[in-house]
Amino acid sequence: MSFLVLDSIKKSFGQTQVVKDFNMSIEKGEFVSFLGPSGCGKTTVLRMIAGFESPSDGAISINGKNQNTLKTNQRNIGMVFQAYALFPNMNVFDNVAFGLKVAGKSKTEIETRVKEMLKLISLDHLADRYPYQMSGGQQQRVALARALAPKPQVLLLDEPLSALDAKIRVSLREEIREIQRQLGITTVFVTHDQEEALSISDRVVVMNAGRADQIGTPSEIYNRPTTRFVASFVGTLNIIEATVIDPAANTVKVGENTIRLRESIGALKGGDKLSIALRPEAGSLLENAKGDTSLTGQVISSHFLGSVIRTKLEVGGNQISFDMFNSPDAVLPQSGETLTLRFNAHDFLIIRD
Amino acid sequence: MKAHKIFAWLAIAIGAIYFFVPLIGTFEFSLRMRRGVYSFDAYQSVFTDAQFRATFGFSMLMAMVTIVVGMLLIVPTAYWVRLRLPQMRPVVEFITLLPLVIPAIVIVFGYLRLYNSSSWIPFTGSTQGTNILLTFSYVTLALPYMYRSVDTAMRTIDVRTLTEAAEILGAKWPTIMFRCIFPNVMSGVLSGAFITFAIVMGEFTMAALLNRPAFGPYLQLVGANKAYEPSALAVIAFAITWLSMGLIQLVSRFSKLTPSRP
Repeated sequence: MSFLVLDSIKKSFGQTQVVKDFNMSIEKGEFVSFLGPSGCGKTTVLRMIAGFESPSDGAISINGKNQNTLKTNQRNIGMVFQAYALFPNMNVFDNVAFGLKVAGKSKTEIETRVKEMLKLISLDHLADRYPYQMSGGQQQRVALARALAPKPQVLLLDEPLSALDAKIRVSLREEIREIQRQLGITTVFVTHDQEEALSISDRVVVMNAGRADQIGTPSEIYNRPTTRFVASFVGTLNIIEATVIDPAANTVKVGENTIRLRESIGALKGGDKLSIALRPEAGSLLENAKGDTSLTGQVISSHFLGSVIRTKLEVGGNQISFDMFNSPDAVLPQSGETLTLRFNAHDFLIIRD
Repeated sequence: MKAHKIFAWLAIAIGAIYFFVPLIGTFEFSLRMRRGVYSFDAYQSVFTDAQFRATFGFSMLMAMVTIVVGMLLIVPTAYWVRLRLPQMRPVVEFITLLPLVIPAIVIVFGYLRLYNSSSWIPFTGSTQGTNILLTFSYVTLALPYMYRSVDTAMRTIDVRTLTEAAEILGAKWPTIMFRCIFPNVMSGVLSGAFITFAIVMGEFTMAALLNRPAFGPYLQLVGANKAYEPSALAVIAFAITWLSMGLIQLVSRFSKLTPSRP
């Protein structure tokens, strides 16, 4: 049986249903990210796990024990907040020790555990500092240590990196993942940043309008999105309108280009419209590039973005962006130039909504 | 630009003269008790007066009790309004402003009608009961200032997130209140406390009509019967108020050491 189970969770605020029939099972030690735009219900689900909100319907269980009837302070869950939420009147040591003191641990036990936690986050030299004397990144590491100190059964991270600058964000997310692996703690991470979710999670839940649109590994989410929303929300994606030529042979037409799709077209007839998607990095302009399919079109624009060159092609009324790696001798395609983009047919995804 | 500056300084000078001249006059007069020379005889007379010590002590005690009762009432109220009942904010703000609109004499007559010795709750039937009633009336008078100072202090911290952080670490309400919230709104609590202290020390109407030996009625009594001592007492009363205001400034300066927030 899974460690953390969210069974048909629903949540309404007045007439508005913000979480609609949410189901999810998380294994012990797993790192799961809830990814979605603002207002999709991801934080509400997290708050229900924490006990700050009660589900309107459905059950939450941890290690086989129903949590619905338990108050927040009875659940033994650790949480890190976006706003750090360190107690301003306490120094680092006292902040980390808070949960242990509340649990009635002995003085020696508290001291040992706090030191252990501060060492884990490499801030053992700042035990006497107050929150206002520390940077945002340091405060968030202390918040992480505080959440982990009482040995919670689940760790919840509510957009913990959002308030930090880009560089700290990257290093801290790696640190969080490393600590999570080290302790083997079941972790639920809420973010609206796809890069964060994809880079550190075992599984990602893409949420949209109160529902889990897709649950899968980062690779599955990125490479095989199952809905138009997931496809458009995660990464950059070209949505191409194609016309079915032969459903039996899975062939479609984009402008003057005929493409044989790997995926079955399904119940569509010849002449029907079909949305297919292609990642910008899937294609190549090289003559000898591997690929069984090609699209020929005219260059609309080309931009140098540092590590990549992004070019926009016009193919049968569709604008298709594609990226190629920069190199010292790379030449930017010129507007109006005719180019052929080569790729594998299995790079195409059929968008079924 | 220069003319503007001159007018600004002129306005400040007029204000200062308006405020300081009577004060300096009062102080100067309070030193004239001994004929022909300046002396602190009036102050000595005040400080050696047993009634001064008794009334001052009584008002001090009442001020302390008022602060404790007021804070026990106001801090949890402001906390709950901020955390769980934000829709009640206009109602609470209206109630806390009422003592500024309703004259103290009306409030105290209301008390006397409600809590007289032949009523259901005969507070005025005993000295202790009257003292309790006086405390409640002082809490009412201080309500607008206490509530606002505490509420302002709560605005500087993220009450909701701090509460949730404490709660998820296993804390129950008393721990959250006294270890996580109260210490972080201490500057507001102390500001409110000093204002309350100044109000209680000078309050006359409530204490006089409830017939309690407070400092306010003593000031009035001395003022009606003596010449130099009332001036000395006025200076002392000003000193108490200024001390309270100075302490508020000090506390708010300390409270600037607030946590860095995202």
